[in-house]
Amino acid sequence: MSFKIAVFIKQVPDTNDIRWTEHNTIQREGLESVINPYDIGAIQLAKNVKFLLKDCEITAVSMGPMQAKEALKEALSMGCDKAYLLCDKKFAGSDTLATAYVLSQFIKTKLNDFNLIICGYQAVDGDTAQTPSSLAQKLDIPQITNVSAVKEVHCDYSVWFKDTNDYSQTIKINHPALISTTIKNAEILPDINSYIKAQTESITVFNADEIEADQSKTGFVGSPTQVKKAFRPVIERNTKVVESDNTDSAANYILDIINKCKEQDEK
Amino acid sequence: MRNKALVYVEINDNRVEKVSKEIVAHVKKHFTDTELCAVLVADDQTIQTIIPDIKDLGLDKIYIIQNILLKHYNVSVYSSVLSQLISNINPDVFLMGATCDGRELAPRIASKLNIGLTADCTDLQLDIDGNLLATRPTYGGKMMATIISKTKPNFATVRQGAFKFSQQQFLEPEIIFFDADYCGLDNLINQIEILKTHKKGHVQDWAEADIIVAGGAGLKSKDNFELMYKLAELIGGKPAASRAAVELGWAPQNLQVGQTGKSISPKLYIAFGISGALQHMTGVSNAQKIIAVNIDKNAPIMSIADIAIPADAIEVINALISKLSN
Repeated sequence: MSFKIAVFIKQVPDTNDIRWTEHNTIQREGLESVINPYDIGAIQLAKNVKFLLKDCEITAVSMGPMQAKEALKEALSMGCDKAYLLCDKKFAGSDTLATAYVLSQFIKTKLNDFNLIICGYQAVDGDTAQTPSSLAQKLDIPQITNVSAVKEVHCDYSVWFKDTNDYSQTIKINHPALISTTIKNAEILPDINSYIKAQTESITVFNADEIEADQSKTGFVGSPTQVKKAFRPVIERNTKVVESDNTDSAANYILDIINKCKEQDEK
Repeated sequence: MRNKALVYVEINDNRVEKVSKEIVAHVKKHFTDTELCAVLVADDQTIQTIIPDIKDLGLDKIYIIQNILLKHYNVSVYSSVLSQLISNINPDVFLMGATCDGRELAPRIASKLNIGLTADCTDLQLDIDGNLLATRPTYGGKMMATIISKTKPNFATVRQGAFKFSQQQFLEPEIIFFDADYCGLDNLINQIEILKTHKKGHVQDWAEADIIVAGGAGLKSKDNFELMYKLAELIGGKPAASRAAVELGWAPQNLQVGQTGKSISPKLYIAFGISGALQHMTGVSNAQKIIAVNIDKNAPIMSIADIAIPADAIEVINALISKLSN
């Protein structure tokens, strides 16, 4: 029986391309959608596992509107073997808790014999990094976050490199387990077979009933958190422009401020 | 008192994470009519060394969960015992630092208790009914959102450096030992084994320096960027980098300003050849004084900094270095 990996991906607006309306809200029309850059890292990591194991099946899953089929097709072209979309009006407006619940229902009803779940560290349109940990808890499985690479994979356990700003670790974890990775924007070149598969294969869609999701736990209803207001950050200081005739006077001006700052300290 | 706020005090290497103290100071100052409690999770030996360090934060109560099983941080185990405490004492607000560990621990607890959670907040206030208004940057810092939660406790993680730590008057806190149920937790511990750890040293110390000199893409080359290290040393400050400089490979990522999870608040911030994208500026918004040196008068930073000097950044750095070396 082959080793099974689920990779959860999210379609996000391209945050490098954000424009503002006059009301200081994000202009959604015309905003390009892309696969969350960390999720492409997750696909790459899953492919690295597959390379080590050979007999391995990667399933890409996304929760979102029908439009997210595009992201799943792209995932297939990047080398995922299967792709499913979780789509239902009842899922709309889900926060991280409700999202984790929906994803956990997919796993429980459709992929209960998985060995690994691999997620991107966070989605760039929210930056919360909450869904992977929340999902691991819903499934009651161990997890490693901030994973930078895989070291070895066996049927029952695997070994990973974790890398944070403060430390790096080598960690062994028993399966089933959840891994979230900080690899971002991996460059995956589509191979011809995957590309053809992506063009020809239709994406299976599951609704709330098909994954036995309890409506009271999904979407707006099932989401405890709500956005009360959104606004553009305002940074205002009374800027003084100091024109200087030459580099020397500019340097002296800065030195003066540095010295004042240090004197302030000594007092 | 009407409200009860609980702060998770994170311990690493036998010391309290600074962000935990920052949160306590913020709650003490801004949450009215609130009982301020902290929770410590560790083995009893660690607890003994930590208690003196948090006694003078002005806490009303300290909850202690101590057991040999808690000697090393394990997200499954820690989330289990903390969830037990929350269910038992029912705080109105629960807060922890958005550290690397905090950002994986908090969602596990929220998921276990089926409560809402707001990540990486830079501001926290209580409304008149005692509900938490949690404000956070989103879309990579391009937008701010204030989040409320329907469930109690209102739960949030807090960005490091977002609040100022201030020593409080001494108040003898009541110490309460919480007896958690440890049944089955040794199984959770066995699921994960740390084979090797390499500590990177206190690379983040720069973020707490009084003077920070930062370089961006305007420095044109890695060699020029390396002048920042020399300059920082000469003025007794620390070097940092913009995202552009990091992405160009001139500086390591742990020197990046405006990164998710960390704000800085130096007395003086000098930006050389940095254009000042919004996420960069939100990262330094707590700096007391910002000087920008940029040849491009129209760079965003030139109308946001306190002092804008339109000049060639590399020349100014070289001039500063030669003056300071003499």
